[in-house]
Amino acid sequence: MAKAQEGRGAQPPAASGPTANAKKYAWPPKPAVLSTRVKRLDGPDKVTGKAKYSFDINRPGMIYGKVVRSPHPHARVTAIDLNAAKALPGVRAAIVWKEPGTPAAECKYQGDPVAAIAADTEELAEDAARLVKVTYDVMEHVANVEQAMENGAPAWAAGTANTRKGNAEENGNLDDGFKQAAHVVEQTYATHVITHVCMETHGCVCEWDGDKLTAWVTTQGVHGTKDGFAQGLKIPATNVRVITQYMGGGFGSKFGPDAQGLICARLAKEAGKPVKLFLDRKEEHLDSGNRPSAYAKIKAGVSADGKLTAFDAQSWGTGGAGANSNFPLPYIYNFPNRRRVHTDVFINAGQQRAMRAPGHPQGCFLTEILMDELADRVRMDPVEFRIKNLPEANLSQAWGEYFRMGAKAFGWEKRHATGDPRPGPIKNGFGVSAHRWGGGGRGGRAHCDIASDGSVVMKVGTQDLGTGTRTMVAMLTAETLGLPVSAVTPEIGDTNYPVCGASGGSTTAASISPAIRIAAGKARDAVFAKVAPELGASADDLVAENGRVFVKTNASKGMTWKDACRRLGAEPVSVDGEWEDGLSSTGTSGVQFTEVDVDIETGIVKVKRILTVQDCGLILSRLTAESQVYGGIVGSLNFALFEDRILDRVTGHMVNPNMESYLLAGLSDVPKIDIMLVDSPEQRGRGVIGIGEPPTVSTASAIANAVRNATGVTIRSLPLHPHRILAAIEEQKSGGTL
Amino acid sequence: MAKNKDPEKPEPINQSRRQFLKATGVAPLAASVAGAAIAEAQSGAGIVGPGEVPIELMVNGKRVALRVEPRVTLLNAIRNRADLTGNKRGCDRGVCGACTMIIDGKTAYACSTLAIETVGKQIRTVDGLADGAKLHPVQQAFCDRDALMCGFCTPGFVMATVALIEKHPKPTPEQVKKGLDGNICRCGTFVRIMEAAMTASGQLATRGVTRG
Amino acid sequence: MKAFEYANPTTEKDVVSALRIDGRIALPMAGGMDLVARMKDYVTSPDRIVNVKNALDKTIVATPDGGLKIGAGVNIVDLVENAQVAKLYPAVVSAAGEVGTPQIRNHGTVGGNVNQRPRCWYYRAEDFVCYKKGGNRCFSPAGENQYHAIFGNEGPSHIVHPSSLAVPFVAYGATFRIVGPNGERTVAASEYFTMPNMQNVKKENVLADDEILTHVMLPAPGNVKSGHYEVRYKESHDWPLAFSTVVLTMNGNTIRAARVVLGAVAPVPWRSTDAEQALVGKTLNEATAVAAAEAAVKAAKPLSRNGYKVQITKTAVKRAIMQIAGLKPVQLRA
Repeated sequence: MAKAQEGRGAQPPAASGPTANAKKYAWPPKPAVLSTRVKRLDGPDKVTGKAKYSFDINRPGMIYGKVVRSPHPHARVTAIDLNAAKALPGVRAAIVWKEPGTPAAECKYQGDPVAAIAADTEELAEDAARLVKVTYDVMEHVANVEQAMENGAPAWAAGTANTRKGNAEENGNLDDGFKQAAHVVEQTYATHVITHVCMETHGCVCEWDGDKLTAWVTTQGVHGTKDGFAQGLKIPATNVRVITQYMGGGFGSKFGPDAQGLICARLAKEAGKPVKLFLDRKEEHLDSGNRPSAYAKIKAGVSADGKLTAFDAQSWGTGGAGANSNFPLPYIYNFPNRRRVHTDVFINAGQQRAMRAPGHPQGCFLTEILMDELADRVRMDPVEFRIKNLPEANLSQAWGEYFRMGAKAFGWEKRHATGDPRPGPIKNGFGVSAHRWGGGGRGGRAHCDIASDGSVVMKVGTQDLGTGTRTMVAMLTAETLGLPVSAVTPEIGDTNYPVCGASGGSTTAASISPAIRIAAGKARDAVFAKVAPELGASADDLVAENGRVFVKTNASKGMTWKDACRRLGAEPVSVDGEWEDGLSSTGTSGVQFTEVDVDIETGIVKVKRILTVQDCGLILSRLTAESQVYGGIVGSLNFALFEDRILDRVTGHMVNPNMESYLLAGLSDVPKIDIMLVDSPEQRGRGVIGIGEPPTVSTASAIANAVRNATGVTIRSLPLHPHRILAAIEEQKSGGTL
Repeated sequence: MAKNKDPEKPEPINQSRRQFLKATGVAPLAASVAGAAIAEAQSGAGIVGPGEVPIELMVNGKRVALRVEPRVTLLNAIRNRADLTGNKRGCDRGVCGACTMIIDGKTAYACSTLAIETVGKQIRTVDGLADGAKLHPVQQAFCDRDALMCGFCTPGFVMATVALIEKHPKPTPEQVKKGLDGNICRCGTFVRIMEAAMTASGQLATRGVTRG
Repeated sequence: MKAFEYANPTTEKDVVSALRIDGRIALPMAGGMDLVARMKDYVTSPDRIVNVKNALDKTIVATPDGGLKIGAGVNIVDLVENAQVAKLYPAVVSAAGEVGTPQIRNHGTVGGNVNQRPRCWYYRAEDFVCYKKGGNRCFSPAGENQYHAIFGNEGPSHIVHPSSLAVPFVAYGATFRIVGPNGERTVAASEYFTMPNMQNVKKENVLADDEILTHVMLPAPGNVKSGHYEVRYKESHDWPLAFSTVVLTMNGNTIRAARVVLGAVAPVPWRSTDAEQALVGKTLNEATAVAAAEAAVKAAKPLSRNGYKVQITKTAVKRAIMQIAGLKPVQLRA
């Protein structure tokens, strides 16, 4: 169970200021390759189907695994009979996962793994799984937070409370704060549970060679997953190799072997054959993580001149069976007097896992809708109101500047006051929101090999989730060696390569790029050292640009890269680089603007356009960074409008564990999206930070605020389903709260 | 939720579930791997299966001989038994489009098509789209426009776009939307997918600022 | 899926005989997208699948009386692109064009669309043994019924009929040709779909297990104007929340006769006589459309979580009528 974290990666001791290597290999002021739009290196393999995802690995003699799972949200396994399954021809292994009579035998959510089998074909594996006879002692369950918090509610887990209240986070003096307030808003806001819906479900192929395990796993962290296998199987980590050349999406849910990985390895050991075990879509919804829900009852005050004065919140949410649900609150804006107490509520449903910017989409929504309500109280424009209440501006907190840039580009001055006054059933509105994220990252390692034929290989034990890491590795190396990107071979996705952290928290770019820069820099210097005497110069006088090595002050004194490498002879360059402080930093900020149309006779919302202003420090690979922004925004649009993990309130079963009634946007649902990436010298000077998560934080909030601007009614919970829009309009017509 | 003692309330489904599980446990399994009745799948109303049946599929212009039970989907047959893994399985229910193939000129969800019913049809998959090292214009456009990220939905989108442009050589944005609405991208690359479709159909010049 | 036998007949007669297997279950498969999904979810586990694509008529031909005869094997894409259908029964083309996705329209058939089983998420899940699967209750009233019926809610089942084509077929007065072991019969579309009761709840229509739907016959439309309006939550691949086909016989600008059929609101395509009464004899204008829409939903009896569908249904009826009146009702697009 992954915890929600803002930054991930190995933790070397804290450094202070740029190191000597960081200064020596500082980012070039005028890069030849970095920050340009280089086509994704693995595009051709992906568009031709040549790219092999873990799901595609077909090993000689391979068979298929299938997990047997609890159909009940809460039950105790009292017996497991594998005999009928084992008797089916073609079944090669069968294991018990929850041993009856042990504490582990208590299943706490629908989909909790209980047993597993492996058989010759996928079809047989499914037949055999259905022949496993599990006897359950069904227990009472709780299906939602309301049920869990009721007096006399059954326990989500035997002998365990359904809630866990945290400590108050406080600042200032609430009484004073409310005394200073000319207006007070007191409302409840909420966001819902969604699942990651990775297109490639969770799973792996496990193959033993004696006591050595090779696992092709769809994972965001090859090294972390390797450790996970070692610990889970109680074998030396050196006996495990994890390979992930391509993976079909993670969004925070794929950081280790999980139950299915360990199950797969055990099945493969028992069967003496490689086993492929992948979750089907229903299992994926039930047991591979989700974004916890978030509720907050907030009372907030604002002074007559539009300064926030007080914020008092009780928040809660569910991360499912025993998992936490916390999130930052309030979000971004400056409430000098505040108190917030959060309660985790447990229900019998799948456990949460980090989901793209964990906690931030929730904290953002629960604050941003309130901000528009407060702005209306003091009759201020929402952008002006926000600017008035920002924390101190700096390079990682630049919302004031971004609000202005974005408002101008968006045409914000055309916004009407709350409630589109024009006649007709289609109401148009504008909305705005802001977000922040950490990024940064440390602890990457890289290895650079340069052979005498001039070929360059950069090995990094990192992974490419579709983020463009592979391309970034090649670009960084090419920049440093003065070569075209095509002259570099990046090697990633294998624990045979140097240890790096998992790709989470938007830390990959910042954790590996210094390591790569330094490794490539040292490798380049080794080549320089070989040819400097011949060129009658010292190594410090040489530069590598445009495929040549030459004297900085006399370009004619030089040779081609290939000729220079020939001098290596029988001693190829082979150097390591590690992350060092001075080439990366942390902290990003951004804003988003949206325009929506709302059909008030049907409650349907259509987003017309979205604009974002986003920084990320030094932009390494511009093309793939832009794709990250598009993707994050679409993800948040889905959060706002469509996707929803729906549990039947009576039985606790998920009613939409598929991709049909778990709704996701298609091409027709996606509006115009404009991206303004901040590429100033100041941002570049901050080094590499990362961009995966920030763009997905605030779109949903901006959409909800645009709906409010359009209709004149406030929808305080997601998703913005027609029933919520119509109910809010009805309530307002009958004189309900604004 | 309190255990139901109230006779007005419906009984818990657990009861039915146990009954169902019992029923499933004793139902005769019709699958038999070896020695099933073999009959030409195509002639008359000849009944074949439930065991494996030899079939021959035409995939990307090549004959692919397989032995599959009638219940094996075209997608699984091609991926698991012919090692043509370009085609992906996302939802397995005919919704996400990751499995999209072109069968007799029209796109289909291969996950919801039985392998056995495609005997005699021309099946085109992403694996056979490129001409050696030369990418199909749609594939090239997807690369040039970066209309992909993790790439798992990409083969399906590529095939859907190929079929779209074969039917509408210069599609309008409306036609592109309608034509690609049977495919889902979780990474959210839709903006660039639209650009790729317009580029592949010669309606949007490649900006030329992408290198590589 | 449970393993099954496979038959691939080429004549109607062979289809019927392949469907007759005593004591076991045989099901016809056309496009297969609905059936295969249900089999994967163990909602249905037949012992034999009968591929009917090579036996069913795939043509659309004019009939002597000025109507059309549509083979049940016609792919939905071909229905969408048929000029005769567009000219005579435009609501059929409107509905067909909104069905699913291109992949579904390419291989899905008219017969398959009409006969598809409900989308109800309790029905579609193995975990819930509801009335339709031989169980002893319906899970929607106490559960997540936001997409269930707002009419015809006496029970036992609260599904909405899932077929888009069924609604315009009923509105245009179609009849269905059915072939079985005793020969052929025709059933009016309006009588083909059945309201659920304790005896028939396992089915949504009158088709017997050993019968096959072979044709949809549409009568000459006469001098009518039709409108069709669907409200969808998502624009790409989604099921409509509510929709309506309205067919009006005009006398100048006065409505002489009306057929108003509602979709996605009841276990069958729902003929709204309330709306029709509010239309007959009135002038075709927006006020009439508004009044008819109000009338259409006055008898609605929503469940605990789908009251919002009443407003949406009202809008669908109003806008279908406004379409006919040439008033160009709004339709949101991204």
